[in-house]
This record gives sequence, structure tokens and C-alpha cells, in this order.
Amino acid sequence: MAVQPEIEKKSILQTVLDAADDVFTRLTAGIPAAEVRRMIRGEPPGRPNPRLKPHSEAFLLHIKPTYYHESVTRFTHTFRLGLLSTYLFFVETITGLILMIWYAPTPERAYADMIRLLSNVPFGQFMRDMHRLGAELMVAIVTLHMVRTYLTGSYKAPRQFTWFTGVILLVITLFLSFSGYLLPWDQLAFWAVTIGTSMAEAVPPAIVGETVNLLARGAPDIGANGLLRFYLLHVLFLPLLLFLFFFVHYYKVVHFGISLPSSEEEVGQDTANKVPADRRVYFLPDVMIDEASFLIGFTALMVLATTFFFSAPLESIANPQSTPLHTVAPWYFYWLQGLLKIADKTIAGVIIPGVLLVLLAAIPYLDRNPSRRARDRRVAIISGIVAGIVMIILSWMGTPYYAVQAAPAVEVVQELMPEEGAGLVREIGYKHLPLGVYDTREHPVTDDPEFNEVLHEFAAAIARYEEKDPTFNNAYGILKITQEQPNLKRITWEIYWVSPEGVEDRFIRTFFLHKDSLYWEQYGLKNFSFLRPATEE
Amino acid sequence: MKQPWYSFLYVRSPIVKISLAIASLLLMIVLFLFMGLIEEQRMEAQTANWIGREIEKGAELYANNCYNCHGVDGKGLPGVAPALHSKYFFTQRLKDIGWTGSLHDYVALTVAAGRPSKVQSQWAVMMPTWSQRYGGPFRDDQVQAVTAFVLNWEEDALKQGTPDNPDPWQPFLDAPSKATAEEGAAPAAEVTPEPTGPRPPQELFVSMGCVGCHNLDQPQTPTNRGPVGPNLGNLHETAGTHGMDAFTYVHDSIVNPNAYIVEGYTAGIMPSNFAERMSEEEINALVEWLLDPNRQR
Repeated sequence: MAVQPEIEKKSILQTVLDAADDVFTRLTAGIPAAEVRRMIRGEPPGRPNPRLKPHSEAFLLHIKPTYYHESVTRFTHTFRLGLLSTYLFFVETITGLILMIWYAPTPERAYADMIRLLSNVPFGQFMRDMHRLGAELMVAIVTLHMVRTYLTGSYKAPRQFTWFTGVILLVITLFLSFSGYLLPWDQLAFWAVTIGTSMAEAVPPAIVGETVNLLARGAPDIGANGLLRFYLLHVLFLPLLLFLFFFVHYYKVVHFGISLPSSEEEVGQDTANKVPADRRVYFLPDVMIDEASFLIGFTALMVLATTFFFSAPLESIANPQSTPLHTVAPWYFYWLQGLLKIADKTIAGVIIPGVLLVLLAAIPYLDRNPSRRARDRRVAIISGIVAGIVMIILSWMGTPYYAVQAAPAVEVVQELMPEEGAGLVREIGYKHLPLGVYDTREHPVTDDPEFNEVLHEFAAAIARYEEKDPTFNNAYGILKITQEQPNLKRITWEIYWVSPEGVEDRFIRTFFLHKDSLYWEQYGLKNFSFLRPATEE
Repeated sequence: MKQPWYSFLYVRSPIVKISLAIASLLLMIVLFLFMGLIEEQRMEAQTANWIGREIEKGAELYANNCYNCHGVDGKGLPGVAPALHSKYFFTQRLKDIGWTGSLHDYVALTVAAGRPSKVQSQWAVMMPTWSQRYGGPFRDDQVQAVTAFVLNWEEDALKQGTPDNPDPWQPFLDAPSKATAEEGAAPAAEVTPEPTGPRPPQELFVSMGCVGCHNLDQPQTPTNRGPVGPNLGNLHETAGTHGMDAFTYVHDSIVNPNAYIVEGYTAGIMPSNFAERMSEEEINALVEWLLDPNRQR
């Protein structure tokens, strides 16, 4: 450190500036401040290109290509879906780690921990909502990433193995999302996972299926052991597995380069790694600015959605003795639930998904057509679209609208006041439920327009089922609202009808609603009604 | 290279991209500030929400398990179970029994572990153990929910003590001095106004506490026996099989319960003071109603 002679040679200011630039260059792994300025101004690099240095100096950048073909950097070529999947994995890791601070995976504590997180941890609900939103988005984005790769034919030689690892990543993503489902230990979690693991039981031969089921649940039924196992799968095993396969996948992507739009090259050729000098887009700064601004913008949208439109559900505490009406799987398994409704558990739950998975992974080895151009791949693209439509139909069949309708009277009450979740009555809440007895035959009208809506829906639902169901005749409903306790109302639904044999029948269901209870839907504008008292004060 | 029609969507300028990123960051900062500002109120609302939901769950459990003995409105049934919706219960009970913990703990413990002793009890039925920890049906969270529901009566119970809103508490026989010595602990029997005319049997069946032990809907068969008292669902068929006519049998069983004990049940459980608490006219109406195969509730 010979500072003295240096100051003598240059001025003191210049020495300080040089030292500052030196520090800056170390921090940027090789790019001096003047070069950063030129980058931002969009000026070309000098020669030799100083912007390549970070790729050899910095660990995080050495896995990124130094330049891309101009045509693959266009947004509509890849939609940045692969980058987004990776990013969401990191979002999930960070939010998940924060959630782990307030969570213990035991049936005694898990659900109480959720309530504590929601009501006693600043930003606790935000973290939980963000984690849940990220999980659902990750499943959607990974799937869309696969669809894009399929439609552009990018799985073809030499990228067959990249596709194969991608299918494995899709499966791991689904399992990750599903294993996290159980952790809140509410009815939604418990029954979705009970159904999910019971499919493992259907694996033939019986001894294998039973063993797999027992290993997953840790006991014949899900309990403390099952929760611990799913927790460990969710926070340790599956993320590590995903991490491993991600790097295999990403190595292959960089190794072969992102496949060019098919119009850029001759059929059968792969010129992704032979980028002419005039078509090169350097990672630093162009692609980096593009990716960083894209991810920041996407994060802002996620935060916006979480603030106003997305709330992770939390139902009643898990109760192995009572299955709620209309138990559904998470939406990305609706198709499987739809299959299970039309076929046997072994066929629909094990054999068909297994064959589908093998077919999906084997697509690049089955599709011998060398062309990636859409007009040469009519069969592949049409069959892909047909498969997509079949998935959507099966998903619709997986919802309660298809083939699992209960008795009409039960369904009427379920529409207005479901056993779990919000429903119209809980959404308008305690203060919009005036005490009294309301008979649908008298078309009662009250002073409360929101409650009138409930009465109207009640009568309309009864009329609808009366028309649809021949066993449900001359039906009418009586809604009784009484004060059970201070701040607690008893809501009794009575539905009377006449069966085809002329026998009168009735259904009575009682619910309670407390003044302070807030019920919410997973998707939709959040309820900020708790803000009103503060503004009135 | 041909440009696609949507090429105007491509953002090429790094300055625009950086500006958009900065705008996004600002948006996030605003959102976090907004969330931070309302976070206190959100947490309060959530706390109240989960207490409210717990009370709802407790109400459902009470309606399915407890109201038979403690009454639909928690005011107890004479001779069956004490009132919980009572000013005495919320203000004096703990002092009388020398409990040093909170009322919440007292209720939660009683729900969980029951009142297993039958020594010197004036109640017809023992309080069972409800917690799964002691062989009952409730999980811990359910014990807590029922407790929250019972304690939610406090606001109404504290308004009791006026002539038109009497305290329904019935003093314990095992500690009558303690129970009645306290101010405002007026026993229900003293303040209940005398009825002017004969009360309907449906009302008597509930208010006299019969409903606590006798199931009206279930038939009494060797495989389907009432746990404390015989089921009354098929009384019109079985009452005449005891060597006397059906009316006399039922009437005597109400007035002098220990005269004939159905095999398998214990003598002395059913209160024997019904003749004093109901007029002869009322008892006769009750018997007729009980023996009616198509009785209306």
C-alpha cells in the first residue's frame, strides 16, 4: 500500500476516485463504474468486451450464458416462464422459511399455530397468502412452461433429456404443492390429503399399495406421524430433490442454448449455439435488465394480488370423524378427481396417471418428426390441444357440479351457508341478519337489502331444485334467526317438501354466527370491513 | 426479420425497463406501507374472528350434547343440572367452592373431567367426562370451544337479578348455606312466578327435566336402551306390560319413581318430588300425552 507516492503522482482526489472505482469493480466482479454508465446509456462495449468478465469471476453469473440469440430474447418466444418458475421456487423458499418460525408440525399445535400466525404475527397473514399464491402460481407457470415447450417443438433433438428432467420437475412441483396442503391441519387439508394418499393404496398389487400408503401416512389414518412426514417432505426432501433436478435441467438449457424460433433455421438443424455476431444480445446489461425488471414487476403484481385479492383458506380444525360436504382436491388435481368419478380407483388413480406421465416424459423419443414448424406438426399440435381440452373437461368433472349432488334440500343450504368456507350468509355477516322467521311462501321483504338478497336466493334455489328434481315437490323453506347468546345468532334452515309418494319430508340444519366472525373466499376482493370502526372514532 | 403484429409490445429501451422496475418497487413500498398501517387493526379483527368462530363451534357442540341437561338457554333444569347462564355462576360460584383459578379454567376442567361423584348430589345425572383424555368424545379444542360458548353468556347473565329476569341458579344441596347466603343468589324456585293455569305437557316435559334422561323419539328395546332413564319412544306399547294398566303405571312412575324400577336402572336417580311440583291435572295430562302414540312436540 504505497499510498504516499501515488498521491504524489496523481492528485489526492484522483487517488480517492481510483480507490472507489477499484472497490466498485470488485463488487461488480469486474465492471468499472464508467462501463456501468455506458451500459445504462445503451452504448456498445469496448474491445475486448469488459462485460464478459463477471461471467468468469462471479459464481452466480458463471451459470448464465454471456449472450443470447436476439430472437429468443423476445418476450413472446419463451414468455420468461422458465425463469419465473425458478424465481417462484425462491419466493416459496423465503416465505416458507419465515412461516416455519411460527409452526410446529403436530396435530395439537399446527392449527392453533395458523390462528396465531393470522392474528398475532405482523405480516403473518401476508406471508401465508404470498406462500399459497406462489405455490399455486408455480404449478400454473411450470405447466404453461411445458405447454410452450411443446407447442414450439423445443423438446426435439438435442433437447430430449431437458424435456425429461422438466417432466420430473413438474411432478416434484405438484408433490411439493400437495404436501404443503396438509400442514395447516384444517378440514380442507386433512380430507384432500386423505383422498390423495388413498390413491396410493390403489397401487397394485395390494401389498405394495398398502405399504406405500402406510409409509406416507405413518399409520392407517393420517395423524401425528402423517403430519410430520408430510412436513419433512415439504420442507426438506422435495425442495432438495427439486434443487438437484433444477440444476440438471438448467445445465442442459445452457448447454444446448434456448431453441430458436423454428423460422430462424432449416428443418433438422439446431443453430442455437451458433449465434452470428450481429444477432447477439449480451447478458450484461440487456438480458439482465430485462430479467430483473420483469421479476420485480411480477413480484409487485404478486404483492398487489396478495394485498387485495387473494387469501389462503383456513377451514375448521381437522376432524377425522366428519367429512365436509363436497370435499375437493386442489384445482390442479381436479382432473384426477374427475377421472376417479368415472373409473375405478386403481385405473383412474394409478394406471391412467402413470401411463400419462410415462407418455409425457417419452414424447421426445416418440415424436420422430424432425421439424419444429407448426405447419409440419399438425398431428402433434392438434393432439396436444385435444389433450388440453380433455384435461379441462375432466377438471370440470372433478368439481362438485358433476355427479356428486347431495339431496336437494342439503344442496340449497350448502349454496347459501356451506359447512365449510364462507357462502352468501356468512359474507354479509351478523349485522345483516335481522332476527325473525322468514317463510319463502310469503315472499318476505325486510329493510335490509343484503338480507333480502339472501331470502331471494333461498327461494330461487328451492325453486331451481324443485324444477330439476322430481323427488322434490311443493317445496318451501323457513329461515329462522334467533339470538342465542350475546353477539351470537342461531340460524335455522328448514326445508319442507313432498316426495313423489306424497309423503311430507323435511330437512333442518342449524348454524351459529358470531358478530366478530370473518369468513372469506380464497379468490376475490378481500374484506376490509374491520377498518370502518377506526375511521368512525 | 419480419416483425410480428404485436411487436409494439416489446420493450426494448433499458431506460424504460429500469423505470418500470423502479415504479414496481415504489408500488410495493406503497403496498407494504398500506399493509403496515392497517396491520394492527387486521390482527385485532383476526383475533376477534377466531374467538367468534370458537364460540360458534362451541354453540354447535352445546346444542348437540349439553342442552338436554343444562337447558336450551343454559338456565339449567331443576333436579337435572345447574344453570350456567346465571349471575350467581359468573359472580359467586368460584368464591363459594374456594376455586382460586379463573372461571374459564373451572368450566374447562368441569367439561373435560366431569363431576364423577354421586355422593350427596341432588342432580339426577352425573356430569360425564367429555375430554378424550378421560375417555370422553371431545378433543382439546372442542373442550375449549364449549368453554368459550358458556363464558359468552356473561353479558346476559350479569343483567339477571330483577323480578322479570331472575337468576335461575339452584343452590347446591351439599353447600346450601354457602349458595344461598350470598347476595343476589336467589334460588330459582323462590322467584319463579306461580303459573296461573295448567301448563301443557310438552312444556312440563322440558321444564321438569324429564328430557334430560328420557328420550322421546327412541324406542326402548333390549338393544337400544336409554343410558340413564328408559327411552319413551314406544311407551304406549310397553307401559301396559307391567301388571297394571298403562295409565296407572306411568302415573305412579312419575309420582313415586322408586315404586317400580325397570331392570338395569338404579333406584333413586329420578327425582321423587314431582307430585309437589305439578298439579294432579298437569300430571294426568302429561301421562296422557306420554301414552299418545302420535304425540305432538
